[in-house]
Amino acid sequence: MPFVNHSDSAAASGEERKRTRDYASLVDQLSDPNPTSRRWAARDLAQCPEGALELVARLKNETDLSVREVIFSTLTTLKNREAIEGLIDCLRSEDAALRNETIEAMQQCPEEVGQFIQLLFTDADPDVRIFAVNILESLCHGEVESWLIGVISTDQNLNVCATAVGVLTEIGTAASCEPLMAVSRRFANEPFLTFAVELALKRICEQKSNE
Amino acid sequence: MNEQTISSEDYAIFSEFFYRKTGISFETTKRYFVDKRLLERMNATEHKTFRSYFTMMRFEVSGEELQHLTNIMTVNETYFIREEYQFECLVSSILPEITEKKKDHKPVRIWVMPSSSGEEPYSIAMYLIEKWTGISKWDVEIIASDIDTSVLRKARAGLYGARTLQYVPAAWLKKYFCKVGEDFQISDDLRSAVEYTRVNLAEPADTRSYRNFDVIFCRNLLIYFDDMSRKRAGETFYDALVPGGFICLGHSESMSRVSSLYTARRFPEAIVYQRALETQ
Repeated sequence: MPFVNHSDSAAASGEERKRTRDYASLVDQLSDPNPTSRRWAARDLAQCPEGALELVARLKNETDLSVREVIFSTLTTLKNREAIEGLIDCLRSEDAALRNETIEAMQQCPEEVGQFIQLLFTDADPDVRIFAVNILESLCHGEVESWLIGVISTDQNLNVCATAVGVLTEIGTAASCEPLMAVSRRFANEPFLTFAVELALKRICEQKSNE
Repeated sequence: MNEQTISSEDYAIFSEFFYRKTGISFETTKRYFVDKRLLERMNATEHKTFRSYFTMMRFEVSGEELQHLTNIMTVNETYFIREEYQFECLVSSILPEITEKKKDHKPVRIWVMPSSSGEEPYSIAMYLIEKWTGISKWDVEIIASDIDTSVLRKARAGLYGARTLQYVPAAWLKKYFCKVGEDFQISDDLRSAVEYTRVNLAEPADTRSYRNFDVIFCRNLLIYFDDMSRKRAGETFYDALVPGGFICLGHSESMSRVSSLYTARRFPEAIVYQRALETQ
């Protein structure tokens, strides 16, 4: 038969590891010209909690998508303070793709990111606050609704509030009704927000009547 | 107490969410199937309304309930010649393209992950012998892996009941199997054609030596993973494939939702995913 079976050959017969895997070497390999070496360095740095800062630094300059994906995976595996702070820093990037990838990565770390949500909502940049709402849209955390209520109750920026109302339309409960009406009054001259709040309230009322 | 029901709006909300999470899309024709399983899980978790169940499931930190739901929303069974259109695609489209570009004349390498109890890798081996004209010119290496050592033992033994063989053509059954009591034993030649290995896809130490594969079959596995695991699996397969290599997923799975590193290739027989040559 034309089948080759290399039993006992560790199956893969791919290639042996050629480089040392200590921390310093892995950091060095993050800058290797070969993307495969960079990918494997980024993957193996999951064993080195101190590697988060190096990974974030690389992420900001990395142009190879396959390496970027692995760096994000490693950061969400590490999910220590340095990793989360590094991801937050990426939210300020001018690179829209990097920001979107960062939001997706942060959604994978609900508990760890949850500890930074209040901080994100005090950020001076409304875009960062909008990205924080975007993170909540798919964050598996029990406080999501209360955080969003906090946003629509206090944030002075229309776009931030409108984004939060949009998420509450989908996940809001009776607890959101009064804050929704309040934000509508606060931005009474903004027909779009009035419409968005009416829609959210309608959805929540429909759900209540079904219960 | 109100009788539990799933409204049309609930169904739409759930379908959209489930698609986003798993890539599995339920048409309205699946309404009964989906409703029945949702109500089953609402009862099991003691939620009286869809809204409260959905909120719990969606925001549960462990993701355990979403996993339960995913498991019962998918049908988990395996048998010989399952999803045959992909084997047709392998011999009619994928392998001709690979061998046309292959310059080194090294064996064509195929990785089947998960192997389960061997039905899929043996189906591939039989399909290649019976239907691929290139088999006379090319050597083929089939490596089949699974995390479960008990199914690997079963795969190596190659003993199967009649039910799992129902789609095997009679001539193939006669040619490649012999009857052992009520069961059928696959031939020694085919058994030695496939190398079985134990691999945990989530463990980089297990997978790092898996390289230079031309084709990977990973069917009906990713649907059981959460988003992060699915993404890592996509990255692992990326490194296991040669540039331009192909990955075949189950009919309800899509690599497009897992990773941006693959291109969907629409062949006449099936859609498969191809590792990009360049990712700059």
